[in-house]
Amino acid sequence: MTVGLLGGGPPPPSSVSQAPSRVQEIEVTDTASQYQTAERDLGGCPVMHRDFAPEQAAGCHWELAEELRETSPVFFNTFAQGYWVFTRHDAVRDIYKTPDLFSSESITPWQPEPIYRFVPTQIDAPDHIKYRRIVNPWFSPREMEAAEPRMRELCRRLVEEVEPAGGCDFVSGFALRFPTEAFLSVVGIDPADADLFVPWVEDFFRGFSGDPAGLEAMAKALDGIRGYWVDALEERRADPAPREGDLASHLLHSTFEDRPLTDAELLDMLTVLVLAGLDTTRATLGYIFRHLATHPEDRRRLIDDPELIPSFVEEALRFYTIVFGDGRKVTRDVEFHGVHLQRGDMVYALVSGANRDPRAYERADEFVIDRKRNNHMGFANGPHRCLGAHLARRELQLAVEEWLRVIPDFRIATDEELSERGGGAMMTLTSLPLVWEVTS
Amino acid sequence: MRLVVDGASCMGHGRCYQMAPDLLSYDDEGYVTIRDQTIDVPAGQIEAAEDAEGTCPEQAITLLP
Repeated sequence: MTVGLLGGGPPPPSSVSQAPSRVQEIEVTDTASQYQTAERDLGGCPVMHRDFAPEQAAGCHWELAEELRETSPVFFNTFAQGYWVFTRHDAVRDIYKTPDLFSSESITPWQPEPIYRFVPTQIDAPDHIKYRRIVNPWFSPREMEAAEPRMRELCRRLVEEVEPAGGCDFVSGFALRFPTEAFLSVVGIDPADADLFVPWVEDFFRGFSGDPAGLEAMAKALDGIRGYWVDALEERRADPAPREGDLASHLLHSTFEDRPLTDAELLDMLTVLVLAGLDTTRATLGYIFRHLATHPEDRRRLIDDPELIPSFVEEALRFYTIVFGDGRKVTRDVEFHGVHLQRGDMVYALVSGANRDPRAYERADEFVIDRKRNNHMGFANGPHRCLGAHLARRELQLAVEEWLRVIPDFRIATDEELSERGGGAMMTLTSLPLVWEVTS
Repeated sequence: MRLVVDGASCMGHGRCYQMAPDLLSYDDEGYVTIRDQTIDVPAGQIEAAEDAEGTCPEQAITLLP
């Protein structure tokens, strides 16, 4: 089977939107699958064939995750080379929190030997924390506190730009732009370069999520991002000291075990920051504003009591977890949550299902705007906890604050069903047309 | 009441000092400053401490009598 850079292989018939009763059927329709049942005794574990890549109606991936979670705590997916899917909160948490058993060498379960390397995303202990310590301060709460006025200004300008039109596609008009500009300002790049990054990130993730038609554009986008950083590094290389507030320059002067970072490390780090930092926030913004557009009572509560916005955002991160699942590679033979894993097996921790698991959360299937003690895993758990979590939170809160201030009432402009990109990577609304009354 | 943070489990999510800003604070990397320490919780901070404990995604916080 041909696999692209990050893609999930050929598109077999989708089974995502089937009725729950069909989930338990063993379905092997993809004859090109590399997986051969005869090779392996799965100890009676349910076997399914599921492709999570295809685009669906908005919200379908959470319904699917729920269906899978309530059908079985674990199943073996014969997609690609075959991998284990753990669907419930306890196992997902244990996968995150046992990194010596679950390596991040590959984080896409349908691709155990990736040809790319994200640093520090795919680095295990003991080196992982050494890379993290170089970049942690750049995305710390203290740094975000300092960056907030700049980010608020960017946000306010974008909202005020779209307001007079009385409507926009929220995704292209705001959600793609604001996180990009905010991120670039935090790492010391001119936010005007968002014009370059927005299409790159869009093209990259269309391929990453498993759309075979998107693979060529994805490779080009990756070239574009890397090329941008090659030029940026070249321009900064001769500086005797790091430039203030400039991450690329800072990295050039950083050391890993007393040696400078190699060019490969620099590029791998800068590239993954762009990829991880932009699409994720855009996706979460889409679901947050779909929620606000369809829940006027929640808009009103947030306008009346803005102190609820942080808990609203945390609940959105739990309820609308945009990472369908996280992949890991098994490092040794082990019994784990009732199945026998072998070294080299891939596992998929279905965090989107775990965050709505009624075994872990009260009223798990409800959006509770003021939920207390919301210990969701929306930014993952364990040592690979999202580096950009503090940035993302700040951006999401600012977006809600500034948007509601300028555009307090809005609704979805179409009766047609919205669609979301597949769960091969991050779920995201492909578009979100909004309309509102122009007041001025 | 006392509060203890298991330093090995803390991953710097920042939820605890968000929940209990008058009790807990953060370092330059975003970790809570009192990792592997036990602190006394003042009477007025008990609910905030309980919120911090219950909100930590890593279950790194323990409350002691």
